[in-house]
Amino acid sequence: MINLSRREFGLALLASAAASTVGLSGCSKDGGAGQAAGQSNTWTIPTKDPTATIKLLSIEDKDAMQPVLDAFEKAHPTIKVQLQTVPFNSLNSTVDAHVTSKTGDPDVYWADQPRIAALASRGELENLAPFEKYKSDFDAATYTAGIYQDKLWALPIANSTQLLYYNVDLLHKAKLKAPSPSVDHRLTWEQLAADALQAKKAGAQNGMTFGQFDRYYQLECLPVQLGGSVGASGKDNLTPDFTSEPWIKAMQWYGSIFKSGAAPRGMTADQTDPAFLAGKVAYTVEGPWLLPSLQTSKVHWGVAPQPVFPGAKPVTAMGSWSLGMNPFSKNKEATAIFMKFMSIDDGSGYIKYRAAPELPATPAGKKIYFSKPGFDTPAGKNAQQIIDYETTHTGVARVKTIGYIEFETIMNQAFSDIRNGADPKKTLDTASQKLTTQWAKYK
Amino acid sequence: MTTASRLGSGLKARRHHRNRARRRQLFWTVIFLAPAVVALAVLRIAPTAQAIFSSLYKAFPGGLVPATFHGLGNYQTLFADPAFVHTVLLTLIFNLIINPVQILLALLVSVLLIQRVALAGVWRTFIFIPVTIPIVGSAVAWGAALNPQGPVNAILSAVGIGNQPFFTSPRQALASIMIVASWIGIGYWMLFLTSGLQAIPTELYEAARIDQAGPISTFFQITIPLLRRQLLFVLVADTVANFVLFVPVQLLTNGGPQSSTNLLMFDAYQQTYGYGSRNLGAAEVVILTVIMLVFVILQFRLLREEEVTE
Repeated sequence: MINLSRREFGLALLASAAASTVGLSGCSKDGGAGQAAGQSNTWTIPTKDPTATIKLLSIEDKDAMQPVLDAFEKAHPTIKVQLQTVPFNSLNSTVDAHVTSKTGDPDVYWADQPRIAALASRGELENLAPFEKYKSDFDAATYTAGIYQDKLWALPIANSTQLLYYNVDLLHKAKLKAPSPSVDHRLTWEQLAADALQAKKAGAQNGMTFGQFDRYYQLECLPVQLGGSVGASGKDNLTPDFTSEPWIKAMQWYGSIFKSGAAPRGMTADQTDPAFLAGKVAYTVEGPWLLPSLQTSKVHWGVAPQPVFPGAKPVTAMGSWSLGMNPFSKNKEATAIFMKFMSIDDGSGYIKYRAAPELPATPAGKKIYFSKPGFDTPAGKNAQQIIDYETTHTGVARVKTIGYIEFETIMNQAFSDIRNGADPKKTLDTASQKLTTQWAKYK
Repeated sequence: MTTASRLGSGLKARRHHRNRARRRQLFWTVIFLAPAVVALAVLRIAPTAQAIFSSLYKAFPGGLVPATFHGLGNYQTLFADPAFVHTVLLTLIFNLIINPVQILLALLVSVLLIQRVALAGVWRTFIFIPVTIPIVGSAVAWGAALNPQGPVNAILSAVGIGNQPFFTSPRQALASIMIVASWIGIGYWMLFLTSGLQAIPTELYEAARIDQAGPISTFFQITIPLLRRQLLFVLVADTVANFVLFVPVQLLTNGGPQSSTNLLMFDAYQQTYGYGSRNLGAAEVVILTVIMLVFVILQFRLLREEEVTE
């Protein structure tokens, strides 16, 4: 038996390595991405319907969407719509994978409004210049949500705002006066915290909750009320801007409500609505999506406008979903007709025909929305007035930046740390450093 | 033909024959090595090369905009960020504590259990059971156990120690992660050490007893030197495992509270998938690999030096 020398063994290793490299090069795919998309092809919103089947990617399931799609296909019989539903958490990765494959599938997709700038800059949205003439059909702020670098990239189909709901019985038990439903007589945040603590001491399981604890969407308004920025500034909003005095002050208040016990630590966003509906919370700051479930619950509820800091200007959260067009779509004209139906026709076909009410992005749509059941009770009427006022006057959009995903992730982590007792100033400073690192790739 | 030349041609023929045999053997060696080498190349070398390559580029998230060459810019960005420096230091501290502790405890348990303890096999099985549970399952179970309102706190307050915050406190979260990792780790490493201990000839211990050596000097004079190979394997493998520890952090703390458990491996994941900064993520993987290599090389040096002194 002949033994191989060390050198020969090495040679054998090398040979098999070479063989495997050949195999590897066969399966390695072209890493270099093609050129950026987004060059505007010439298309118009036609007056005569083409014949086409378009694909829609949404987070809404068939139950919610079928009545809307049926109404569309009835009005436009030559255009068929195929719905594909994905959960919210996988929407962004699905859009990224599908659009960059350049197959043109889906033709149109659900676009989260604060992510429109990122999607547009990545070349994953078609420019919607032919829709710019419909600007006046929308509430101004919702239309602006689709603008990036002075161009329109997405059409809003819904909007949101925030209200202060309270449990009448728990307030009564704590001998607290119900807050006024008038937008001119808002509670202050400090008063809310004090009242919530009093309600808790009188037996409420929780004094107050934010429907979405630790989320930028709901907390952005606190520093902005005090004159702070929306979280970023500078060119393209790529400079973190949340270490200023208003931000620190707002976050000190946020941290204090957990320290005093007015609000609970540990409760997550998906636990807050069920807790209020079960009568375990005295006050909750939450969107209009709580209204349908309140009507079927046993809670004796009332509603007031979202509080404000003393002497500050009222500011509330807003924003929701838009529709974006795939730049590689092969059916742009049919897609344009569908998008127009969803967001503009009849004040928004999406709002008009969907079963569960959702706050629209157009004044005409709001009329349809407020005519849905639930707004005819005294509390419902108060809610209607508040929603109407806030969406027109006090809404502030989430920061518009191509680096929104990193921004939101880091901010939400910082809010959660402050909630758990971290020093607000130190936490915001650290978050600012982290975000600077993340945003370096855009500069 | 002279005797010498005849001898020479015979030699040539034999050499020729031997060369052919060697070539054939080389051929088969290549064939048999190929699967392992291919696996190494595809699963280890290619991803590492790809990470190094990617760490030198800068790209938008998403796949439509082409990446541009960025040199060492990603590394500069990372080391200019105090949060990242904190992550590196935290990872080093974590490993400097958890590796010695795990190995010491594993050694202690295995030495104890090869003594004539009643039901030693049963005890050993109990300590090994955590290894057989998928790490996701044990992380979830520990998350529930160490919940501020969980059973561990119920026991602690019953014995008068009082409730502990565990994963919710920046002071205790990292230590809690160490407990979860060690609960699994100790049983696993114990297995290797026990087999090493059982391979030590009993005559040596008997001889030590005859020489009237005490248990402590027996341990240091006989057990440790003869267990060196297993100990070094466990040291290297444990170090690597703890440097790339991921599941408990991802499931239980997400790097928090206040970044107190933001270990390098988790941070690289977060960069890549959480923030879409895949080039920064690649740079972090390269840094982690380098740190790990330094530790492993040091440990191998330790082995070689001891071999020389032998």
